[in-house]
Amino acid sequence: MFENLRHISRYRALISALVVRHLSIRYRGSVLGFLWSFLNPLCLMLVYTLVFRHYIRFNGVPNYTIFLFCGLLPWIWLSSALLEGTNAIVASGHLITKSMFPALILPLVAVLTTMVNFVLSLPLLFVFVWLAGLEFHLTMLLIPLAIILQCLFVFGVTLATSTLNVRFRDVQHLLANALTLLFFLCPVVYPVESVPERWRFTLDLNPLALFVRSYQQLILDGTIPNMETIGYLGLWALGMLALGNILYSRYHESFAEML
Amino acid sequence: MQTQATDTHDVAGSTKAAPKYALELVDISKAFRRQTLKGGYTTLKTSLLRWAFGGEGQAREVTRAVENVTVRIPQGASVGIIGRNGSGKSTLLKLISGIYKADAGRVQVHGKVAALIELGAGFHPDFSGRENLYLGGVIHGLTKAQIDQRFDEIVKFAELEHVIDDPVRTYSSGMFMRLGFSLAVHTDPDVLIVDEVLAVGDAAFVAKCKDRIADLRMQGKTLLLVTHDLDAVERWCDEAIWLHEGRIKDRGEPRRVIDQYRSFLERGEEAELFQSADKEESSVAQPATDTNEHKVEASRWGSREVEIAAVRLVDRDGAVRLLLHPEDRVSLEFDYVRHENLKDVVFGIGINRSDGVVVHGSNTDIERLTVPNLRQKGTVRFCIDRLGLLEGSYSIDVAVHRSDGYPYDYHKHVVSFVVRSPMKMVGVTLPPHRWEVDGVDLRSSKAS
Repeated sequence: MFENLRHISRYRALISALVVRHLSIRYRGSVLGFLWSFLNPLCLMLVYTLVFRHYIRFNGVPNYTIFLFCGLLPWIWLSSALLEGTNAIVASGHLITKSMFPALILPLVAVLTTMVNFVLSLPLLFVFVWLAGLEFHLTMLLIPLAIILQCLFVFGVTLATSTLNVRFRDVQHLLANALTLLFFLCPVVYPVESVPERWRFTLDLNPLALFVRSYQQLILDGTIPNMETIGYLGLWALGMLALGNILYSRYHESFAEML
Repeated sequence: MQTQATDTHDVAGSTKAAPKYALELVDISKAFRRQTLKGGYTTLKTSLLRWAFGGEGQAREVTRAVENVTVRIPQGASVGIIGRNGSGKSTLLKLISGIYKADAGRVQVHGKVAALIELGAGFHPDFSGRENLYLGGVIHGLTKAQIDQRFDEIVKFAELEHVIDDPVRTYSSGMFMRLGFSLAVHTDPDVLIVDEVLAVGDAAFVAKCKDRIADLRMQGKTLLLVTHDLDAVERWCDEAIWLHEGRIKDRGEPRRVIDQYRSFLERGEEAELFQSADKEESSVAQPATDTNEHKVEASRWGSREVEIAAVRLVDRDGAVRLLLHPEDRVSLEFDYVRHENLKDVVFGIGINRSDGVVVHGSNTDIERLTVPNLRQKGTVRFCIDRLGLLEGSYSIDVAVHRSDGYPYDYHKHVVSFVVRSPMKMVGVTLPPHRWEVDGVDLRSSKAS
């Protein structure tokens, strides 16, 4: 485990160079450039507002549009980090088969790249909050902590899944399907409060739901997630890091042959 | 993962006691699963299904790419690895550079390795040459400051000053390779691994690369060269290692190992020639019958009153040969069968190069020789004391006819043979010769 950590710190320069490269690939060569990262959540926000507020006439939350946006941003980060991270090692196969390359950093780069997108889209959320005349809570200052915790968790998961994906190429497809289902099990389009008490546990056990909920609490409610939640998410993050590390350590030496 | 004592891969290099060897491979082996080689991937679905329904535990075939190879390369030495395609050369290099992990044995590398296995691996087509150099430099373990410092030198060496800010996708393959090579040799490697990369690129740049490699050698860097260019191995390397089917077949002084390897290749080539000759055998020595008497074959004609039964090239020991060297003594032997009693008999032969040039054509009549009365069966021998032909493929015509040209049996292209020579001279023939300058025989001065 510590061996792998040492790798990460040794390759800091490489990691940041790759993150910059991924970001500039995304933003270069498209006219809209940087706006692309806002476009997806904005479109989703508009469609969901139309469906849930106007078709289904859901009225459980004030400022539903902003509520949606606040949940969509962390969800989009989660799902894109999981998808890109899982595919990261297979997608960069040429680096691993042709040079001595630390595969470990590839899912990390995916997690960090998507994180930068998330952070860059937060100002837009704040603009919405300001336009709606909502209060800016001091708890917003704790967002970086949530981001760090989420990074650790997602890196752990993608380290495991990207390793498995080298061996079993359908892991990424399974994950893509699972994410479609998980979206509705996270409180993005509905608030936690509207979930009946006896079903609440499905959210409380789901780390993805808890992450989404944390941002809603910090930004919209002005409350801090309770210690139980934080501890629970911390355990998930540690557990996934350990799992990812075990799988990676066990299989990474055969990557060059499997790719 | 912890480093196991039997399985060190010490790429980082130790600054402790100066190691004697730049590279140490002790008894390493590597096998690949056939499945991996075919590129068939398992899916979670199939594995789960197999596990759930207890599917047959599919026997896994393995290909042994490298077996029990031990190589120790002293610091500053140059070693060439030769061997046919698929002999395990590239696998060995990937084991050394740490891309593959050995199944057994110990790989130790002291110092920084620059592996010129695939030049420009990791370059992104949409980025400019400049951006790719920075990114590639970081992958090669340089810091940004180090790249800044040698940036101009790298670009100048690659001769890409004018396009360094264009996207790499607009580069020609040669430009791409130049950028990759230039970057790799400017990363201060202690061990330089060169895998056949010099086969691409224009002659001028290849010459420049070779100069640069020679420079690095002078600086005491260790060089590991994998190539089919045997001359380069002979010129540059202190030791040659000949890999065959994953094992070391021979090693040592390059000249000797290369000679062994060459003659091994020639034996393989000769065996192939024999095989293809066997296939045509049936058509060569067919006795005339009533049914095919008048049939005109493109390669054989004549009345068959005297018939040529079998044709072969033999060396001085009487062994049949199909692969020869310019200095060889050979005989063209053919058996005849006489069906009628005849007085007027001329034997002739012709040697043609594969492009149709007649290298030599002669018969007993031209040479004013008289063939004695033939026996019922016998053998004719055209003895060549020194072949004197340069590299190429040749075929032989054999004929027996009357002095006025009336053909008894005329065979064209009855035997094909190949000449191989380590010296690449130009032309058709190699006359016996020597060079003298100011009266001094160059061979004798070379010997001294």
